[in-house]
Amino acid sequence: MKMSVRLAGLEFASPVLAASGTWEFGLRFADVSNQLGGIVTKGITLEPRAGNPPPRIAECPGGIINSVGLENPGLATFVGHFLPRIGRLRCRVIVNVAGSRPGEYAELVERLAHPRVDAFELNVSCPNVREGGTAFGASPAAVERITRLCRRRTKKPLIVKLTANFVDPAETARAAEAGGADAVTVLNTLFGLALGPEGRPFLGGRTGGVSGPCLKPFALYCVDRVAPAIGIPVVACGGVMNGADAADFLSAGARLVQVGSASLADPQAPGRVARELATFCRARRLRDWDDLVGRTRREN
Amino acid sequence: MRPVAYPVLARRRLCPDVFLIELDAPGLAQRVKPGQFLNIRVGDGPDPLLRRPLSVCDADEGRVRLAFRVVGRGTALLARTRTGDRLDVLGPLGRPAPAPRNRNVLLVGGGIGIAPLLFTARRLATGNRVHAVLGARTREQLILRREFRALGTKPILTTDDGSLGFPGPVIEPAADAAAKLDRPLVFTCGPKPMLRALVRRLDPVPVWGFIEERMGCGTGICYCCALPRKGGGWVRFCADGPVVLLNEVAW
Ligand SMILES: Cc1cc2nc3c(=O)[nH]c(=O)nc-3n(C[C@H](O)[C@H](O)[C@H](O)COP(=O)(O)OP(=O)(O)OC[C@H]3O[C@@H](n4cnc5c(N)ncnc54)[C@H](O)[C@@H]3O)c2cc1C
Ligand SMILES: Cc1cc2nc3c(=O)[nH]c(=O)nc-3n(C[C@H](O)[C@H](O)[C@H](O)COP(=O)(O)O)c2cc1C
Ligand code: FES
Repeated sequence: MKMSVRLAGLEFASPVLAASGTWEFGLRFADVSNQLGGIVTKGITLEPRAGNPPPRIAECPGGIINSVGLENPGLATFVGHFLPRIGRLRCRVIVNVAGSRPGEYAELVERLAHPRVDAFELNVSCPNVREGGTAFGASPAAVERITRLCRRRTKKPLIVKLTANFVDPAETARAAEAGGADAVTVLNTLFGLALGPEGRPFLGGRTGGVSGPCLKPFALYCVDRVAPAIGIPVVACGGVMNGADAADFLSAGARLVQVGSASLADPQAPGRVARELATFCRARRLRDWDDLVGRTRREN
Repeated sequence: MRPVAYPVLARRRLCPDVFLIELDAPGLAQRVKPGQFLNIRVGDGPDPLLRRPLSVCDADEGRVRLAFRVVGRGTALLARTRTGDRLDVLGPLGRPAPAPRNRNVLLVGGGIGIAPLLFTARRLATGNRVHAVLGARTREQLILRREFRALGTKPILTTDDGSLGFPGPVIEPAADAAAKLDRPLVFTCGPKPMLRALVRRLDPVPVWGFIEERMGCGTGICYCCALPRKGGGWVRFCADGPVVLLNEVAW
């Protein structure tokens, strides 16, 4: 079976991508990036962002809680310094963008009209910033507006990355579709709080976002809920550690799947997930992705 | 870079809460440089998710030694390692510490912070004059004394309870030692308050510190490690450290 898969008119060599914020710009382990369908960059904002004070990470059973706070070098440094090198990767490049006002998203996608940027992931779901972030992602109206503003400024595929923090992602997914999105990513991190021994917040950003294997059952539930609610593809994200996890998300209806926190434990993880998924498909003699994608609902 | 599972040749207790693990790792022992660290998988499932960063305490003759204090779940799991087990290691990570030639080197270690300075002492012993001030809470906690002596350094010792060497913290003996040396190059590792006090006391002498704060990936991809830089911004100390010029961080 061919491992390549199409989404929004783009061919991806594998359905497995590296998620945003856990793979920097794909360059530190470029050999692994080249084994994937694509990489999603760390979230980029118009101006550089310092992010939150340390500590920025805590653990919980089966996962982590981060409060990085969207630290990034800003658009100018990204375009001038990183993009030329990212351009040499032999995989799809999806740039994750974040704004504190709807217009900022539109400006970002317009100014990133670079031939090596294959698509955008609109991050309307970062739990670690005060303006924008989850506040946009919790409002179907804001999601639709941001997507529509971006749609007017770029022809490249738009993937809207959703949250489930105090909102039904099926509703915001429909809003993204109405605004002209080509796909949605389900899910960003869930709100979380880690306390230190004295009962005070442990993380420098006070609260954080939960990710890792402990997020998988909920992320899977959300994919199963969102996929039938919309007519555009779903990109799954949340707790993928191995090929079987990736296969679960495709079964639940996702077309692509991202590997996030697993890369912190092992930078080979995204490549390994891609290989294990290929082995999974061969062992079951699948003919194409349609045999796998969405079978959870078909078989019930 | 891929994780490698190295056989454990020995595990011993250095004092009630500090363990030493010796790995059979010829390639690693040759490649690793003082200041670099290894990111170790603890437990064998996906939980705990993160690896635990440990400095190289010593490396020679194909063997790599790690010394760690049990402070939480991860290090407690690691302490259960037995001879014959394999340890899943990612590394070496981080930038090597500066490697001077023909200088007066002063090593100042506190508690478990003594560990990475042993490897530093070994590698700097040829071609430099290495001096050391080592401190701990008690005589028992003052680890690796014999190993330092075997390298020919005669460390000045201090204990908080006065059970060995000078009573009190390392700061004053370290300042005295530094004052006697021509352009000393200072390396230090230990608890944060000790590092802070040392930099202040030795000012304006540059002090290189081994940072052992919380991190995520250890490889530069997650932005979870951040040490405030004087004048703003952060030092991403897993990739741009973990040995940093302490005079440049606002810590
Ligand atoms: C580059 C580097 C080199 C190092 N080298 C060494 C070395 O050579 N030897 C050595 O002994 N150590 C070293 N360390 C420190 C070592 O990595 C840590 O002690 C170890 O990771 C602790 O893991 P743990 O699971 O045992 O503790 P954890 O359970 O992770 O806890 C560590 C501390 O954080 C506190 N904490 C409070 N609230 C929370 C919360 N909500 N979530 C998580 N933690 C919380 C805990 O109380 C505890 O004191 C190094 C660190 C770095 C970065
Ligand atoms: C340290 C860290 C940083 C992250 N940064 C971003 C980011 O910049 N933009 C974004 O859209 N998501 C970010 N995320 C969320 C991940 O891309 C992913 O959605 C989430 O972690 C769930 O997937 P996982 O369980 O596989 O990690 C970050 C996650 C982590 C752990
Ligand atoms: S710990 Fe991940 S970037 Fe430093």
